[in-house]
Amino acid sequence: MTSELRFEVNGEPVQVEVKAGARLIDVLRNALGLLGTKEGCGNGECGACTVLFDGRPVNACLVPAMEAEGAKVTTVEGLVGPGGALGPVQRAFVEKGGIQCGFCSPGMVMATEALLRDRPDPSDAEIRSALVGNLCRCTGYVQIVESVQLAAKLRSENGGSRG
Amino acid sequence: MSGFDYHRPESLEDAFRLKSEQPDARFIAGGTDVMVRIREGRLRPPALISLSRVQELSGIRHGDEIQIGAMTRVAELLRDEELGRSAPVLALAARTLGGMQIRNLATVGGNLCNASPCADTAPPLLVLDARVVVRSPGSERELPLADFFVAPGETRIGEGEIVSELRFRRPHMRTRATFFKKSRVRMDIAIASLAVRVDMDGKRCVAARLAAGSVAPRPMRLPRAEALLEGRDITAELLDELGTVAAAEVQPMTDVRSTEAYRRHVIGVFARRALAQLSGLEEAR
Repeated sequence: MTSELRFEVNGEPVQVEVKAGARLIDVLRNALGLLGTKEGCGNGECGACTVLFDGRPVNACLVPAMEAEGAKVTTVEGLVGPGGALGPVQRAFVEKGGIQCGFCSPGMVMATEALLRDRPDPSDAEIRSALVGNLCRCTGYVQIVESVQLAAKLRSENGGSRG
Repeated sequence: MSGFDYHRPESLEDAFRLKSEQPDARFIAGGTDVMVRIREGRLRPPALISLSRVQELSGIRHGDEIQIGAMTRVAELLRDEELGRSAPVLALAARTLGGMQIRNLATVGGNLCNASPCADTAPPLLVLDARVVVRSPGSERELPLADFFVAPGETRIGEGEIVSELRFRRPHMRTRATFFKKSRVRMDIAIASLAVRVDMDGKRCVAARLAAGSVAPRPMRLPRAEALLEGRDITAELLDELGTVAAAEVQPMTDVRSTEAYRRHVIGVFARRALAQLSGLEEAR
């Protein structure tokens, strides 16, 4: 049983045929080819599939695709600025080494983006609290927290814009 | 995953009609549990009926009675400023439920209907004396949340019924409540949790409610601990007695997360600590 699904991804309207049982992550990766969003555990534990759903971070592996009808979804690809330049959160993760194998990074970046939209200047405790739903098995989190601190700084220098 | 219908009715009437047309269809709320079970093959419904667009199930209403729609996302319990003033114990518990990605999906009704002994929203709602509103085609009934849970995964709602909202009286000015949870890491499932509510008149406890999670086959009230407190002046000696009674009253088991003995210990410590905090006494160590 397939249905037509219309929603917005990274500011662009999309229309795809989906199986009724598909998950949002299946649509993003398979139908739309947006491979930035990763599937780690598939259970909502690891946060690698974090995307913004109507502005709020969710696990794309737990969202039935059909729930996205009419929604605005932002993936890590949506943070890239003009000409393919990395956004401030992405640049911060690169500069601070908040990345090793990279599998958790898109989820970490999206969770950070969500945090900084709410709390542009978060404390360390707020950063750690915001990232409890994102697991990294490489870096040990210290560099990730530093990345978020730098991201907050870069974003404020950018006047809070995402570009 | 493949091969099922997905419905998004906009009214309870349509949800009930879809369910009667496909009796084996499964209602889905936030999906944080149902989607995992489908993925693991533990659940194979011919159809899912999503409740996310059902108007009657959404929203938090404030008055002498506070009404929380069953489809209220757990994150909404943290965002609702009025609720933060009238019943802050709910936010204390909500903030420990998963990470923000889960809290933006998971619903209060789903957390309760899933009927896990560790459901984080259950202890605070139990101490608030919440009632569950259950709808079925053409009728509505209400039962105390304390009577709602039967066993792990099992509640008093029948096939084809839908929990529409939670109701509780706006807590009195004298009411104070808190929530403690012990888990391995912050977003994890509780090893043990405890919500405590007291209505104080000076040093005297006029009314008390204690409810614990992860220490019995279902979220449970602690009536013996409550009876110990009611009508008494709160003293350091009473705190110690409370800890002993609460630890004895829970019915924990040993499993992958912890042991029976440790869970009893945690509940005793939490009960003492909660009452010391709520009554203004320093924790007696």
